[in-house]
Amino acid sequence: MNIVVNGTAHAIESGPLTPLLDVLREELEITGPKAGCHQGGCGACTVLVDGEPRRSCLLPVAYADGAEITTVEGLGTPESLAPIQQAFVHHYAAQCGFCTSGMLLAAQAYLDGGGTDDPEAIQEALGGHVCRCTGYAKIVDAVAAAARGESFDLTQTAVGKYTTVTTGGAT
Amino acid sequence: MAKHRGKGIAAIEYPTGMNQNGDPSQCWIKVKPDGRIDVFAGTADIGNGSKTIQAQIVAETIGVPYDWITYDNSNTDSSPVCTGTFASRATFVAGKAAEKAALQVKAKILEIAGKELEIDPADLEIIDGEVVAKGAPQTRMSISDVAAAATWGHGELITGTGAQLKPYAAIVDPETGRVDSPPHSAISYAACAAEVEVDDETGEVRVLRLQQCYDVGRAINPTQVEGQIEGGAMMGLGLGVLENCYPYYPSVEHRGGAFGSYLAPGMEEMPQIDTILIENPSQDGPYGAKGIGEMANNPQPPAIAAAVYDAIGVWITELPITPERVLRALEEKAAGKHEPRREGKKVVFDEELSVNTVSSGGIRFEVPA
Repeated sequence: MNIVVNGTAHAIESGPLTPLLDVLREELEITGPKAGCHQGGCGACTVLVDGEPRRSCLLPVAYADGAEITTVEGLGTPESLAPIQQAFVHHYAAQCGFCTSGMLLAAQAYLDGGGTDDPEAIQEALGGHVCRCTGYAKIVDAVAAAARGESFDLTQTAVGKYTTVTTGGAT
Repeated sequence: MAKHRGKGIAAIEYPTGMNQNGDPSQCWIKVKPDGRIDVFAGTADIGNGSKTIQAQIVAETIGVPYDWITYDNSNTDSSPVCTGTFASRATFVAGKAAEKAALQVKAKILEIAGKELEIDPADLEIIDGEVVAKGAPQTRMSISDVAAAATWGHGELITGTGAQLKPYAAIVDPETGRVDSPPHSAISYAACAAEVEVDDETGEVRVLRLQQCYDVGRAINPTQVEGQIEGGAMMGLGLGVLENCYPYYPSVEHRGGAFGSYLAPGMEEMPQIDTILIENPSQDGPYGAKGIGEMANNPQPPAIAAAVYDAIGVWITELPITPERVLRALEEKAAGKHEPRREGKKVVFDEELSVNTVSSGGIRFEVPA
């Protein structure tokens, strides 16, 4: 079997029923896709298979034979982040980061499919991805900003929606 | 059969740090020959943003741009001790250690610059990475030049250390229990108002809005603390209506069988979340900051329970507020059972309905012998 990951062709030695996630992480040592639940429930292992978001933990590698696979490593580089990655940085859309690579790839597929900044449409597209840190609000904000084609100042964090009240003395 | 809306509110207080238990954090800073600053600390950033926060504190305290700071917590062997990221302490305790270390660095920079400029260090200040003479801003020296002079001219390393430790409090009067120092360094306060919709046919509770108000002391990074509060809102929502760690306890197989049987909230459960940051500064935290990491998911479940009562007139006294519990409570109310009664200002629950806690002297479940 052969797969192309982020533009590089690999001949695969693992058995045909090995989950694509294990092939990526163990055989190819591409660790962007995370092994969260290994049951298809959390979305952390999501990669793009021929442009479509797929749960790599449930996908036997044989089904990806000949396919082009994109992991978070293929979205951008630290020096040149993809727009969706810049949006996540600017909007503080990651805390621990474990769900982030899956979120980014699902968001990229949503944007590639012409997704808009409608929050409900974003929730629908990313709804299968669990995040325990952010409460999702800033992830939706980031995807919406990327959908609007905004440019992002990575030296600044976006100002949130909070209001601030300041009291006088110390307690 | 209808859907009912209700509103509820809950308020909490929460101590910051392991008060009375003496949990130290330490920080060490050195300045490189080009003036850029290395911060070594053992605080693990578990996504709470402590690397960013402590780098901000160091930059602000010394007076240099944020991007001059390299924060190295890469291993606990070469870094000073930090007891850890827990008890909402990473900003409040470890951040204070960083501030103290930065103050030493600032004093050392001014001392070296004073020698170079032949000016009393007390008459110098640091603005945006430059040492400037007070009242004579044309007399100035960049920190890069100060660090180079220290390294190549004076044979010195500009460095600073800081440590923060709340000492043990001792009970000084066994009769009254009086202690010799305040039991807490800082108390944070928060309130959450919840708006819910309850379907009295299915028992489903949908949280529509969480308005949250947190006393953060000082919002060192407002967007990050808002992110923690939003995350806490969704965790609290999960604890309120979805999440049950041991659904079959005390059965041996009390854990859920699969990932999907543990109901963590997803994007579709996300309500409208509004955040108000109250800056009510603490005396002991860096720049008045307090810690709100752990309290962020505390007020939502009681606020949701109160909102459910407002909506359908029954108190659910066990979390999570599942459809089964809502329907059972409605049935029991219709049968005239388990009605909480009002005694003056208190609502008194039926003994059988109330959850016994360890502190109330009982446990709910007993494992058969």
